[in-house]
Amino acid sequence: MSNFERKGDVYSLEVTLDEARILINVVEQLLELLGEGDFFHHYDASDPFAQLMSLPNEVVAPDDPVLMRLLPNGYAESEDAGDFRRYTEGSIRSSKQRALREVRTQLAILVDNGSAGTVEAVDADTWLLAINDLRLALGVRLDIKSESFDFFESLPDEDPQKSLFAVYYWLGWLQGNLLDLL
Amino acid sequence: MSQANIGSGFGDVTTLTDWDAELSELLEKLWICIVWNDPINLMSYVTFVLQKIFGFSKEKAHELMMQVHNEGRAVVATGGREEMERNVQKLHEYGLWATVARDDKI
Repeated sequence: MSNFERKGDVYSLEVTLDEARILINVVEQLLELLGEGDFFHHYDASDPFAQLMSLPNEVVAPDDPVLMRLLPNGYAESEDAGDFRRYTEGSIRSSKQRALREVRTQLAILVDNGSAGTVEAVDADTWLLAINDLRLALGVRLDIKSESFDFFESLPDEDPQKSLFAVYYWLGWLQGNLLDLL
Repeated sequence: MSQANIGSGFGDVTTLTDWDAELSELLEKLWICIVWNDPINLMSYVTFVLQKIFGFSKEKAHELMMQVHNEGRAVVATGGREEMERNVQKLHEYGLWATVARDDKI
């Protein structure tokens, strides 16, 4: 079972190969859902000129419930929510992508080597943010309610929802583990 | 706003109207940042994020988190509209569900 460790201000994560594979799998799926570009940008997305160039006239709220949870409305009123989305969604999305990409890069070293090991120099904030977005994504797909634990536990082992819930539950454990070290 | 015309007699309509206008102008400027409950985020994570973004003590952040948990929502900040929007943007980056609203308690 994986766990985070802390030495002074330095955090690391010890994972088995299976866990690293599961983690990188969900990270990459979420990056795809967030619309990750498939090339490396030489400009910084937070650059004022880049923001001005790419600021669309209108950004519509996403249809996908996972994206709607990750990029929710900032106002109850739709007109204000639309304006808020137009000005903020790009940078909120970038911040989520940045965290997921960093986690992916660190995990890829282990997964590509095909070995269990330690993820060194874990940035706690980045990992907490990424794990949280993964939990939100899985939680929305599973339609998690506060009393869901018993329901998923009662499912037969062959039900695919049960294994998805196991990943969701494990990520919660992992996030709690890191939070305890702060 | 014109100067308050003290001593000009009872029921000075102009002064009262100006006072009213100024009050509503002040209220226009008061906005709040609300965090909403959701069944997914860990309680310890919500506390961590509130400490991180607003610089609350652990006790204060925990208290607000419990209010979100028990009452379904909590006002975590009050102030100008742009400032509240920046707060909500940060809360969304961290995955908390938050909105900006006009302060209607007064």
